[in-house]
Amino acid sequence: MQVWQPTSLDQAALMLSQPGTKAIAGGTALQLDWARGVTLPHTLVSLTGLLPTGISQTGDHWHIGAATTLDAVEHAEIPLISAALADIAAPGIRRLGTIGGTIGWGAGCLIPALLVGDCQLETTAGPTPLPGWLAEPNGLILSLTVTIPQNAQTIWRKVGLRAAFSPAIIVVAGLITDTRALATGGGPVRPTRLPKSETATPAALHATLLHEISAPDCPFRTATYRARVAANLLSRPDKISPAIPPEPLPNALTPDGHGWHTRPDMAAKVAGTFPFLTDHRVPDMLVGRILRAAHPHARILSIDTARAEALPGVRAVVTHRDVPGLNAFGIMWQDQPALCADTVRYTGDAVAAVAAVDAATAEAALHLIHIAYAPLPVVTDPEQALHPDAPALHPNGNLATRLGLTRGDPNAFAHAAHIIEDTYQTPRQMHGFLETEGGYAAPQPDGSLLIAVGGQHGARDRQQLARILNLAPDRLRIITSPTGGAFGGKDELTVQAPLALLALKARAPVRLHLSRAESVAAGTKRAPMRIRMRTACDATGRLIAQEVDLLADAGAYASLSPAVVETALEHAAGPYLIPNVTTRGRLAHTNNGTCGAFRGFGANQMAYAVECQIDRLARACGLDPVAFRRLNLRGPDDTGFLGQTLAPSDRLSQMLQAAADSPLWSAQGPGIATGMALNWQGTGLGTLPDDRAGGTLRLAPDGKIEVLCGLDEMGQGLLPGLQAVISTRLGCARTDIRPVVGDTGLTPNAGSTTASRGGYVVWRLAELTTPDFARDMLTAACRRLSRPDGSLRLCPGGVAETTSNSATPILTFADLAQTDRPTITAAFDFPKANHTGGNARFIFESGATLARIRRDPLTGEIRILDLHLHTAAGPVIDLASYLGQIEGGASQGAGFTLTEDMLYRNGHPVTANLDTYMMPTIHDRPHRIAVTADESLDPGDPYGPRGVGELGIGAVTPAIANAVATLTGRWPTIAPFQPEALLQ
Amino acid sequence: MIRFTLNGARVSLDAPPTTSLTTLLRETLSATGTKLGCAIGRCGACMVLLDGQAVNSCLVMAFQAEGRQITTIEGVDQIAIGPALKQGLTQANAFQCGYCAPGVVMTLAALFTNDPNADEASITAALTGNLCRCTGYHSILRGALQARALIQALP
Repeated sequence: MQVWQPTSLDQAALMLSQPGTKAIAGGTALQLDWARGVTLPHTLVSLTGLLPTGISQTGDHWHIGAATTLDAVEHAEIPLISAALADIAAPGIRRLGTIGGTIGWGAGCLIPALLVGDCQLETTAGPTPLPGWLAEPNGLILSLTVTIPQNAQTIWRKVGLRAAFSPAIIVVAGLITDTRALATGGGPVRPTRLPKSETATPAALHATLLHEISAPDCPFRTATYRARVAANLLSRPDKISPAIPPEPLPNALTPDGHGWHTRPDMAAKVAGTFPFLTDHRVPDMLVGRILRAAHPHARILSIDTARAEALPGVRAVVTHRDVPGLNAFGIMWQDQPALCADTVRYTGDAVAAVAAVDAATAEAALHLIHIAYAPLPVVTDPEQALHPDAPALHPNGNLATRLGLTRGDPNAFAHAAHIIEDTYQTPRQMHGFLETEGGYAAPQPDGSLLIAVGGQHGARDRQQLARILNLAPDRLRIITSPTGGAFGGKDELTVQAPLALLALKARAPVRLHLSRAESVAAGTKRAPMRIRMRTACDATGRLIAQEVDLLADAGAYASLSPAVVETALEHAAGPYLIPNVTTRGRLAHTNNGTCGAFRGFGANQMAYAVECQIDRLARACGLDPVAFRRLNLRGPDDTGFLGQTLAPSDRLSQMLQAAADSPLWSAQGPGIATGMALNWQGTGLGTLPDDRAGGTLRLAPDGKIEVLCGLDEMGQGLLPGLQAVISTRLGCARTDIRPVVGDTGLTPNAGSTTASRGGYVVWRLAELTTPDFARDMLTAACRRLSRPDGSLRLCPGGVAETTSNSATPILTFADLAQTDRPTITAAFDFPKANHTGGNARFIFESGATLARIRRDPLTGEIRILDLHLHTAAGPVIDLASYLGQIEGGASQGAGFTLTEDMLYRNGHPVTANLDTYMMPTIHDRPHRIAVTADESLDPGDPYGPRGVGELGIGAVTPAIANAVATLTGRWPTIAPFQPEALLQ
Repeated sequence: MIRFTLNGARVSLDAPPTTSLTTLLRETLSATGTKLGCAIGRCGACMVLLDGQAVNSCLVMAFQAEGRQITTIEGVDQIAIGPALKQGLTQANAFQCGYCAPGVVMTLAALFTNDPNADEASITAALTGNLCRCTGYHSILRGALQARALIQALP
């Protein structure tokens, strides 16, 4: 693509008369189009500097130069128009885009506002009203004039898929004086005035609007929804009144004061100098790119890489033919090819990879690889996937896992007073880590290979890669930290295998960083679930029986989805005692992407169903949600769901009491309601998988006390956690401790950084290593200073006399390290239950989540006003990390509940990038959030702090659902909740 | 040849005119403080200052950068409020993984330079286009408010 920069409008017009040209102003809309696959023009003709800028006012008329940025118009305080601009894209984009460009683009949210402002354009082809230009664009837009009478009442509203920065579902604009000007548009809705509605009587207005508004369906919202909300918004006054805030929680954690420490990595992160693995650059480093499948399901007939290999600058092309070992990976079983040989099963499947001297060359080479495919029938629905006639993705068919149990009497429903049955559906949530998958690989002088890619368990990555590369594990050094967010999405191998193959073949360092679009298509997601649940209680409200039937969509490969289903079923009764239970879980393969681990790991999906059922039965019995739960709550001495003995320190009744005492229940108003749900979250991998951990404490030559631990820093706060637990026990400063993590070349295996197990591992490592380490340090110091044993203690920076209060060490750690470098290593198992008949967790943590929400009566949209998370997970290791995990988990839970889902159509992703995948923005956050921590443990509880990675997300969805039901009388059973179902 | 000023230093380089500024920074100049999150202006990780205004560098094409003053996270200390802004965000542990941090810092650098008294509504409006997946935004808001206090105390 080339760019012409004309020096006059006449010259621009001449250039634009040539084929293959396209005018560009700010260029922001064009680039979004290109990313969506709109064909690139051959030549851009830049209008920069040729068009007028500036805004002036004459009476009710506003004149705006075409090159004026959207940002400038937004801040010009033009009635209606400035308000509309504030809802278009985001500020950084509005500073680049121009108002002429957005009109020239022919779509966009602004146009309805311009239409009601009777917009007139001045163009190089003469003056024309905006509607005429939209119907038949002619000439270049020079300026526009909108007319907004001073006394006019204005209507503006954009309805999107989240609170802000969203594609439009529909926008409405209105100018009311003695006449009425109304328009709709936005997104796929053709921008238009509504002449019939403009002259309708007030009584007939809503019905006329419903009849007149023409809007299409899209994968996200129906035509009916669009028309209904637009009619509501244009015909009814804004019904939202300010919400009165609730009383604050007196015991909420506060982010300052005692226990608040600045994270050791924070300054570098804020300064942009933090060493992300995808930022690593060395001279002569090659750049890698991966070729993904062209079809969701197809046989590969042939792969021809000759033209790509011949492209100057290409240093290596790899396919399945270059895989020396087992061409398969997967944490549970190895069913996913490193590089596909004969079949592709989803559009993210890797087929080939290229390393070249730069990104552009690597990208160009991908287009030169020719793959001949024979498409196969696409399996798009997990139910249909299990039909005997369905095309099979794998030799053993499409049923990846089936498990379940029956306990008690399956016919106990016969004795029930109340039975609730429904099916709850959950989304294909995307992890959405801001740093997509990537890193680098570099052959080492000794013939070994370094692979540095963000991950969650280096030792297991090494095991998987050793099999694929046919190398001894000790020939591989795997660095997995730091990484820019993971949430389970970097637990499975991501780009490591193609990257390693490229580095080995090119015999050179190679870096590779997935584009977001590629990450969306290729990365694992949260397996969507359909949970049919039938729950019964007697007339007094005591639970009698429950049936659970879960069907999950694994997508193409297993990864950890079988364990997700199993974990979901282990949480099938939540924290309640139900004597008669039947569970069944099935996991089906489809061509809808591929799924795996995600924070919550099935437990949060199951909690959605269980906690809604509980509220529904409570209502059926006439009991309040707290009383019903109290009646059925498990006690501290009850066994777990699988009959296993559990660790002590059950705090469910305390959490339930916190919910009962919540100030949110009384802070109500129109359209406002509060709901609750309990958290009951198992931690660790369970009885059956290997769940080893360990680490080393040593004095380094520079006097830092190094803690070597194979866990990974993904943002959750492993580094401050290690500093906290070690320094507290040793009596030194946090800054004396240097955590070394996530590197198989340096750190002992500590197991995976998943399953809320990190908090326990860190604490236990300190418990096991610090006594001996302190002893060895003091022995060495006494010897060095010729002091008697027992006369010294560790202090910040070194050792001090036990009898002295001095803050200054008499021997610094650096001095001591000149002669002595104590090292203590520990290895241990994550605590396990006594049950091996199934995979059972041992350490559970408790919580209660309360959501106070408001529903917009005109659009059905839900906003979270207050989110209170009461947690009980043992002592807080590091306050900032604890608070961050709960707040961040809650935010992901809110996204799961209200906005997030990755859609597929015929095996192709509809949701291709962050323009259509709706992670919460800052405007979607719960307006206020409060977290409490019950840090107590039972006397003699030997298990210390519990990890809190999954506690925040655990019960957000049912808390919101139960609040919705208070407003609407109906429980939303499809997440994300569809606003259409919540309209009055 | 494309010429612009990067953090006060003149830069001239050869690149196709439609190459994104993010690519020029990260690939050509190896200035990796500016992050790449989506490449379509939908996450804000690549935010830089273009003549003092915070914009998504992934949406700025090389020819559009010609002759402009570009400030990236590597040059944030050249902005008067830069050090105080960083200090406030750091003390508040505003971030977790930190990948969104440079973009947030640049957005806030422009905001507080223009208006050291920006209220919470202005801060959230300014951060509309900066996605964070780890924190849920409350810690970022607390950091921004802490930074504002430090900025207001500057002489």
